[in-house]
Amino acid sequence: MRCIRALLLVACVLLPLPFLLATSGHAQGIPQNIPRKELLILENPEGTVKNAGWFNIWAINAGSQSNGLQQVALDTLWYIDPESGLDGVWDNSLAADKPQYNADFTEMTAKLRKGIYWSDGIEFTADDVVSTVTTQIKNPGMRFSAVLASNVATVDAPDPYTVVFKLKKPNSRFHANFTVRWGAVWILPKHVFEKEADPTRFDFNKPVSLGAYVLNSYDPDGKWYIWQLRDDWQRTTLGRYGKPGPKYLAYIDPGPPDKRVIAQLNHELDVIHDIAPEGMFALAKQSKVTRAWFKGFPYGHPDPTLPAVIFNTQNELFRNPDVRWALALLIDIKAVSMAAYRGAATITAIGVPPTGAHPATYHQPMEEWLKGFEIDTGKRKIKPYDPMIGKQIAEMLRPSMGEQIPSDPAEIARAFGMGWWKVDPQAAQELLEKAGFAKRGGAWTTPDGKPFIVRVMVEGDLRPVMTRAGTMIVQLWKQAGIDARIDVAQGTLPTRRAAGDFDTFIGWSVETWGGHPDLSYFLDSWHSQFVAEPGKSQPLRNWQRWSSPALDKIIESIRTVGFDDPKSIELGKDYIKLAVKEMPTIPLMAYNVFTAMDQTYWTGFPTSENPYANPVPNWGNSRYMLVKLKPAG
Amino acid sequence: MASLGRPVVSVRTLRSGVLGAPMIGYLAYVGRRLAQFVLVVFIGINLAYVITHASPIDPVEQSISAVTSYGNTAPEAIEQMRTSLRELYGLGGSPVAQYLVFWKRILGVDFGPSMSAFPTPVSTLIGRALPWTAGLLVVSTIVAWGLGSLLGGLAGYYRNSRGLKLMGVIAMGLHPIPYYILALVLLIVFGFIWPVLPISGGSAMNLPQTLTFDFVISVLQHAILPALSLILIGVGSWFLGMRALVSNVVTEDYVVYAELAGVRPWRVLSSYVMRNALPPQLTGLAISLGGIFNGAVITEKVFGYPGVGSLLVDAVYAGDYGLVLGVTTVSILGVSIGVLVIDLLYPLLDPRIKVS
Repeated sequence: MRCIRALLLVACVLLPLPFLLATSGHAQGIPQNIPRKELLILENPEGTVKNAGWFNIWAINAGSQSNGLQQVALDTLWYIDPESGLDGVWDNSLAADKPQYNADFTEMTAKLRKGIYWSDGIEFTADDVVSTVTTQIKNPGMRFSAVLASNVATVDAPDPYTVVFKLKKPNSRFHANFTVRWGAVWILPKHVFEKEADPTRFDFNKPVSLGAYVLNSYDPDGKWYIWQLRDDWQRTTLGRYGKPGPKYLAYIDPGPPDKRVIAQLNHELDVIHDIAPEGMFALAKQSKVTRAWFKGFPYGHPDPTLPAVIFNTQNELFRNPDVRWALALLIDIKAVSMAAYRGAATITAIGVPPTGAHPATYHQPMEEWLKGFEIDTGKRKIKPYDPMIGKQIAEMLRPSMGEQIPSDPAEIARAFGMGWWKVDPQAAQELLEKAGFAKRGGAWTTPDGKPFIVRVMVEGDLRPVMTRAGTMIVQLWKQAGIDARIDVAQGTLPTRRAAGDFDTFIGWSVETWGGHPDLSYFLDSWHSQFVAEPGKSQPLRNWQRWSSPALDKIIESIRTVGFDDPKSIELGKDYIKLAVKEMPTIPLMAYNVFTAMDQTYWTGFPTSENPYANPVPNWGNSRYMLVKLKPAG
Repeated sequence: MASLGRPVVSVRTLRSGVLGAPMIGYLAYVGRRLAQFVLVVFIGINLAYVITHASPIDPVEQSISAVTSYGNTAPEAIEQMRTSLRELYGLGGSPVAQYLVFWKRILGVDFGPSMSAFPTPVSTLIGRALPWTAGLLVVSTIVAWGLGSLLGGLAGYYRNSRGLKLMGVIAMGLHPIPYYILALVLLIVFGFIWPVLPISGGSAMNLPQTLTFDFVISVLQHAILPALSLILIGVGSWFLGMRALVSNVVTEDYVVYAELAGVRPWRVLSSYVMRNALPPQLTGLAISLGGIFNGAVITEKVFGYPGVGSLLVDAVYAGDYGLVLGVTTVSILGVSIGVLVIDLLYPLLDPRIKVS
């Protein structure tokens, strides 16, 4: 027994050792040797970066992008803000002015700013822009090679501050490639890359910066990156807006959602990129200093991205718009909003996300048209639009959320959206019967007598909000007698989406600039010239593989008008009307991103009351946030 | 898992250095075991190759999705990008040619470039992650094995000890708890309620990874929670296994005889009981140590600890065959070598075993 006692004694001595190693006070989750008051800690949603020491963003898929590299170290000609912007939506960044096109859009000239310098002291000039284009065209393995090669015939620098692009074919939106909306074609340093024989295998470590920050240090295991404000930050394009608040920025992988919440509650993570609605609710309840886009419910920032039920219109069952409309009329958007976002969603009935400039440009002006819109069920005509659904969601949540739910109708519309389609099982039945479907023994059969099976593909745990929406839609369709099934494609969704290996899926084929009304960002890719044959890979973003001569005409018209031409808005409305009639996708809601901002150390984050930028820290546009941040207290 | 066969030579004979027919028999056994090892590794790697190539995930589409989903890429450029990526990733050529290239690379200890972190070699990525995994899992596996086996042995021998009975209850209580639940509890307790331990990463941020006192302390601090979670879960199964083994051994005649002959209890426990109960535990330990090359996916995810497990999961989602094959090949080799070594050492550890 003596030996047992001895062993227990040893155990008693050894067991506390781990806790002697522990530090008191905090969990040591912040960078060492940097004053916390000078440091802003942001989540890098890419997580742990496998190839941490790779900073050559121009190589395909080689390293991280949103580790701070594209936000604070790189720059390009223009930015469009998804919200209202610091000085308007459009920002001439490296360019001194807006792009200038010739009459037939075969030539674009960009005038550049003077006095902008790389972090190694070399001046930025037109040669860098030319090199960015020619280096990538010469190397097909580079990220923007294909897009530049397919557009640019020649690129020249007649003087150090002018670049002239001659295009292979008319393109009134060529500048979009050099305009940041999340990312863009970033300008590379000619004086660095010209020394590399093979730029696809050059790691660009340590990166020479054109932005206001330079790399301070990084984790070889890819968990964190720290950037430091340049001494000569005035010689960068951000300098026009004043000195950025934080001297240091740490982009970190804080881990799974639970740990993000813990880290923010411990004030060790100033900006959470996104979190599940439940995590946001927990933070709102437990932290007095956490702020989201909206001050109260629904908290999240509506991204200029439009989750929808996307049909494979090359599938015989979904070719007929009556079938697609029938399925839309069986969806109770209130139930979907509750299931996906616990009600914290901004719904939309039309094919444009309800965010940024779009509600004023499209949603509000289209409201009267939507109220009068009719569909023919084969037996009668119905007006399917209910303009009060956004308000109904707000009222449904009011008993549990109390004062957090706004009362002002305009605020409700901004937070929860406007109207959506009424649930109308009778009209859905008539539409399906019109399309040749039949209901036998409570179950629907297709025109050729087979069970009407609809698989709804979702990404599972990789995108839980979309998965919850898909699961609810499956339940609603099942209740109506359709053999609906959830089809989890965790990890395989991009491959199956491109291959057209799905009936329907919950995802998005609509993304917009947000702050600018032009819809060509996604709409141009919906032209039938890009629709792949069944079985072949579909290029983005027309995943529904929808072909429509009427849509082609709209797109071709948009191509002939300028980016800022008001005609493009009218053409955008024509697209919306056509998409409502044809219903190639069933738009659901904006992709609400629950960006949580801790105001313990920094204040001045973008919010719905001060919407100068999109708060998500992975967008290139998030750099504007840095000049608005001030130390708290 | 140990391969035991017809007795030809005793370990005592081997130790005495006497050569002859028995020794030749032992060498033949070693030869057969080595051949078996090569066959197992060959089949394992081939299976991994077939399974990864049967994956429905196309690395090119995954890459295109990653590149284009965030930017304004014209559709006509996508096909060009697709072609470039296929060339870049070496996905051209017939399946037979790709298979031969794969084996050429394996034999040259080169797994080629990672497709999801192109052009970085797979071996570089594994080499970066493996020390973290090995450091954490070797230590926690050995500590859990040592503690569990020792306490289990004591509990099996001193069946009336209240303290050891209590440990048995604790071990039985901890053993069935799902790992992630225990990990989350530790995380919440020591990261939030009483925030004294780091909950993420392998070392403190902004601390150079050099062999300094600060770095070593930081690594130890960051390893406490993940290691503790692994040890708490692991120690229970080793404890219960060893206690059951010892409970059988203590009823053997030679133990009873030794006790009656007045051999001191500690000697009975260490030389008569524990030593004879250890071989199955050692086999388990060898397999566990070999298996560490799989990484500990949940541990790495929950604690944000760097390692091979996360690398493997990310590679699967990215359809990065090269990286998946690299990690699985290392893992297959790890487990196979672990079992081989223990099989060859078994006769030295257990005097009752005679190899055929």
